[in-house]
Amino acid sequence: MAAVSMTGIVKKFGAVTAVDGVDLEVADGRFVALLGPSGCGKTTLLRMLSGLEAPSQGRVRIGGKDVTALPPERRNVGFMFQSYALFPHMTVAANLRFPLRMRRGLSRSQEDARIARALDLVRLPDVGQRKPQQLSGGQQQRVALARALIDEPDVLLLDEPLSNLDARLRDEMQLELVELRRQVPITTIMVTHDQHEGLALADDIVVMRAGRIEQQGTPESVYASPATPFVADFLGAANLVPVSVEGGLARWPDGLTTPVDGAPGQHTLMLRQEDIAIVQPGAPAEVELTARIVAAAFRGSSLQLSVEAGGARLRFGAPVQGGYGVGAQVRIGWVRAAARLL
Amino acid sequence: MIGERPFAATVAMLLLLLLVGVFLLAPLAVVAAASLSAGGFLVFPPQGLSLRWYADVWGDPRYVQAAWTSLGLALITVAIAVPLGTAAALSLRRPGALPLRGLWEFLFLSPLVLPAVVLAIGLLILASNLAGGPSKAALVAGHVVIALPYVVRTVTAVLAGVDPATDDAARVMGASAWQRLSMVTLPQAKAGIAAGAVLAFIVSFDDAVLVLFLRAPTLETIPLRIYAGLEFSPDPGVAAVSTCLILLAAVAVGVTDRLLGGKQVVG
Repeated sequence: MAAVSMTGIVKKFGAVTAVDGVDLEVADGRFVALLGPSGCGKTTLLRMLSGLEAPSQGRVRIGGKDVTALPPERRNVGFMFQSYALFPHMTVAANLRFPLRMRRGLSRSQEDARIARALDLVRLPDVGQRKPQQLSGGQQQRVALARALIDEPDVLLLDEPLSNLDARLRDEMQLELVELRRQVPITTIMVTHDQHEGLALADDIVVMRAGRIEQQGTPESVYASPATPFVADFLGAANLVPVSVEGGLARWPDGLTTPVDGAPGQHTLMLRQEDIAIVQPGAPAEVELTARIVAAAFRGSSLQLSVEAGGARLRFGAPVQGGYGVGAQVRIGWVRAAARLL
Repeated sequence: MIGERPFAATVAMLLLLLLVGVFLLAPLAVVAAASLSAGGFLVFPPQGLSLRWYADVWGDPRYVQAAWTSLGLALITVAIAVPLGTAAALSLRRPGALPLRGLWEFLFLSPLVLPAVVLAIGLLILASNLAGGPSKAALVAGHVVIALPYVVRTVTAVLAGVDPATDDAARVMGASAWQRLSMVTLPQAKAGIAAGAVLAFIVSFDDAVLVLFLRAPTLETIPLRIYAGLEFSPDPGVAAVSTCLILLAAVAVGVTDRLLGGKQVVG
C-alpha cells in the first residue's frame, strides 16, 4: 500500500493535449474517483499511473518513489480494465496464477492457496477450473478484480469497473466493492463517467474537464458547493440560471428578483432539483416564485416537473398525488441558502 | 408482402445457382469419374469401374517420389511462411507500430492478385543472377511469397477478435514483451495460425506455375508429374492423383473453416 502523487502531468498525443497540467495527491488507503465526461483525460491519467502511457511532462510517485521512468511491468500496481481483459485461453485459476508467476517465486502450493483466498474474497470459490467465457458478466468482473488484487499491489486502478454491467448488477457490485475495500484497504483510484458511482464509492472525487482538474474534495463537499457550473451540472441534476446580483437580490432573465447570498455581479445561480418544492398553502417558503408547468413525467414514486419561472426553465420532483397538469400555475419555493452562486 | 420474392424470380435464381454449381463442379466430377475407369485411357465417361489406377499410381515410383518432393517443399514453405506471416499480422495490428501501414498491408496481400507468372519470371531472373540458375531455394522463396498472404489474412482475422487490453493487462502484471507474445497473444491467435499453415501447405502443394519456372531440372512435384503424365501417357492414373489433390484441398478447406468458425479469410 502506498500514497500516490502526480505533479505537473502533461500528456500530448501528437497535436492533441489529453492531460494539461494535473497535480493529484492521493493519501495511503484512500479511494479516489476520477470523474468526467469521455475525453476529459481521466483514463489517460490512470494509464500514466500504471505506466502504460508515459507523461510528456511531470512526475509520478508511488509510495514516495519516483516511478515516472519505470515501465508497467516494474511497477507494482493492480489494474482492472473496462473490458476486464481476462485471458480467454486460460482457466480462471490460470488467470489468477499469471501475476503470481510473473513477479514472485512462490511454490505451486503457495500459489494455489493464494488463488483460493482471492476467489473466496470475491465470493466465487468454485469457478477456478472454468474458462472466463463460461462466467456471467458479473462473475467475470469479480475475477478481474481478484486478479488485480492477488499480487498485493501498492495501488489498485479501476477503469470504468462497473460500466459493462446492467443496472441491477451495478448497484449490487457497488456494495460489494465497498465491502471488499473494507477487507482490503488498498489505495484505489477509479475512473468513471458515472457521477453516481463516484459519489457512492469514493472517499474523494476529482472532477476533470478537458485535461484539467476542475474541482476535488469529498463527495459531500463537492456536491454541496460545486466550484463551477460544469461541476454542478456534471454531478447531478442542477438547475443553472444566469443572474445578475445586486444588494442581496438576484435578477432573473425576465427581471424578477429573488433574495440570495453573494457578491454583486454576473453569476450562475444553482438550484438543486431536490431543493425546489411546490409551496403548500399555509406553509410559505423563504423564497417563492410563480411558475407554469410545461411538462410532467410520471416517475413511479414521483412526478418529474419542468416549469417556467422568472424567464428560466427549472426541473424538480413533485409528489404524484398533487395531480399537477401541464399549463397549471404553481408557487414554487426553496430556502434562501439553497440558491448558490457559482 | 414486402420483401417476398415473386415465384418466377425464385425459380430463376435457383436455376442460376444450379448452373454456377455445375460449372464449378463439372471438371472435378469428370476427373473423379475418369479416375475410376477400368480401361486404359483417360476418357469420360469411364469404361467400367475399378480402383486399379489408384493402386497403379501408388506403386509408381515417379509419383511416389514426386509426392515426397511436394510434401517436403510444402512443409518448408509452411515453416517459413507461418512465422513470417504471423509476425506481419502482429505488426499490422498495432496502430503506429509500422509507418505506412496501408502500404505494407497491400504489399503483404498483393501476391493474391498479382499473376504468378510475373512473380515466377522475376524470381527466375533473380535466381539466375544471384545463384546461377533455378534452384530449390528460389522455388521455396517463391512459394513463401504466394503462401504469405493466406497466413497474414487468417492471423489478422483472428487477431481482430483479440482484446488489445489483454496485452496491457499482462504488462501491468509484470510480463515481459516475450512473455506477453508467447503466453497471451499467440495462444489467442493459434486458430488463425493453424488455419494459415493449412492454407500455406495447400498453396505450395498445388502450385504448378512457379515450379515450372523455378525448379531445378531434376525436381518434380506432383502437379508437374501430372502434367508430364498427361503429355506422355494419358492414362486414368493422372485422374487418380488429381482426385487425391481435390480431396486434400477439400479437407484443408474443411479444417480451416472449423478453425476459424466462419470468419471471412479468403477473397
